[in-house]
Amino acid sequence: MPLSVLIPVVVIGIAGIAVILHLLGLTAPRRLADRAEALAAWAREFPELPATDAQLSADQRAALILMDTGDAGLVWCFGADTVARPLAGSNLRETKTGFDIRLHDVGAPRVTVTLTPEDRPRWKEALRA
Amino acid sequence: MTDISYPDVVNYAVPFFIAAILIELLWINIKGRGGRYETRDAVTSLIMGAGNVASGVALGFIAWGFFMMLWEVTPLDLGTSWWVVALCFVLDDLRYYWVHRFGHRVRWVWASHVNHHSSQHYNLTTALRQTWTYTFTFMMVVRAPLVLLGFHPAMIFFVGGLNLIYQFWIHTEAIGKMPRWFEAVMNTPSHHRVHHGRNPRYLDCNYAGVFIIWDKMFGTFVPEQEEEKVDFGLVHNLGTFNPLRVAFHEWIAIFRDMTQRGLTLRQRLMYAVAPPGWSHDGSRMTSDEIKAHHLSKRPEDRDSPGF
Repeated sequence: MPLSVLIPVVVIGIAGIAVILHLLGLTAPRRLADRAEALAAWAREFPELPATDAQLSADQRAALILMDTGDAGLVWCFGADTVARPLAGSNLRETKTGFDIRLHDVGAPRVTVTLTPEDRPRWKEALRA
Repeated sequence: MTDISYPDVVNYAVPFFIAAILIELLWINIKGRGGRYETRDAVTSLIMGAGNVASGVALGFIAWGFFMMLWEVTPLDLGTSWWVVALCFVLDDLRYYWVHRFGHRVRWVWASHVNHHSSQHYNLTTALRQTWTYTFTFMMVVRAPLVLLGFHPAMIFFVGGLNLIYQFWIHTEAIGKMPRWFEAVMNTPSHHRVHHGRNPRYLDCNYAGVFIIWDKMFGTFVPEQEEEKVDFGLVHNLGTFNPLRVAFHEWIAIFRDMTQRGLTLRQRLMYAVAPPGWSHDGSRMTSDEIKAHHLSKRPEDRDSPGF
């Protein structure tokens, strides 16, 4: 197939599928229902690092995970799914709405967490531990 | 005989790929089961597929030049009979099995293949989430014996394209199990779902392309378990939809690992060629260690499929 035909087919195909998926409501952001769901999302990725507690962010799109060892981890919503990472070695920057966390991981470089003013101190303490 | 040519079947299949994705999406929406889609995930997969075709156009000359060089030196020429094409298809599928197995057991090759496993979804767009960096794995050498045996390079690329097209339809949750005879011989949606699983039980198995018999012959076959649903994705899933990060993240991770301070030369090399998850200080887990950890928590799973 000549490139003059293939390229438009690919571009229109990708754009068309993207529009249809969006119109079907499949871009809607996921939220963590509760603490138990956040703990389950953590255990799914790090069963070898048992968690003792989880604290959801204000928008329920992320959760701070506290471990037996005193270390902290993060679970966050990613598309329709979740991703988790330990927070050791990460960099934290406070923003107007919460925290901007840099994970130094090429495959999961950055997470923005929305927090209420009341939640910030606890997160800050855990993230800087 | 150096002037034979075959159609570029993968390019001709692109309209079929798009139509099949739309049909699967329609099916899932009507039935309310059989898989799931998410916009950014699907678009990332499709862009990876387009990038794979582009990388083939840009870098394909390297493999083609290598194979034509071998073709010049081999005294064998099996011709172009239909049975030669059929034999080439079967032997190339055996080649695919081993390249795919290396792709999961050698980190250098995994760096290219990982992006195909980087979606937490399993639908027809996942099939198109293909590598941009296959040329850099040097796995083209595994095809060298086919050229030296007398299969023309054009024929080898042709059957490789057919192999890729076959594997498209097995990336779906919309199909449960095929008839028993088919499941016994061919790679199917059920067998390949297992391959995409991140459950400890399902790690590193079902490497087949078209014929599942290779896994049965070489002891890597694990059947889909009704009581354990496949959890799709990577052991540690990606947190980015950026196609550049999806394509190159593991290569960059290898570079960072190999250039750490204080490592021996052997340790640096191991970060490139050992199984994914290997680390010099034991701070990460390979698939074998993940399975062992699982069995330490759930010893009743010992000797069941996948363990």
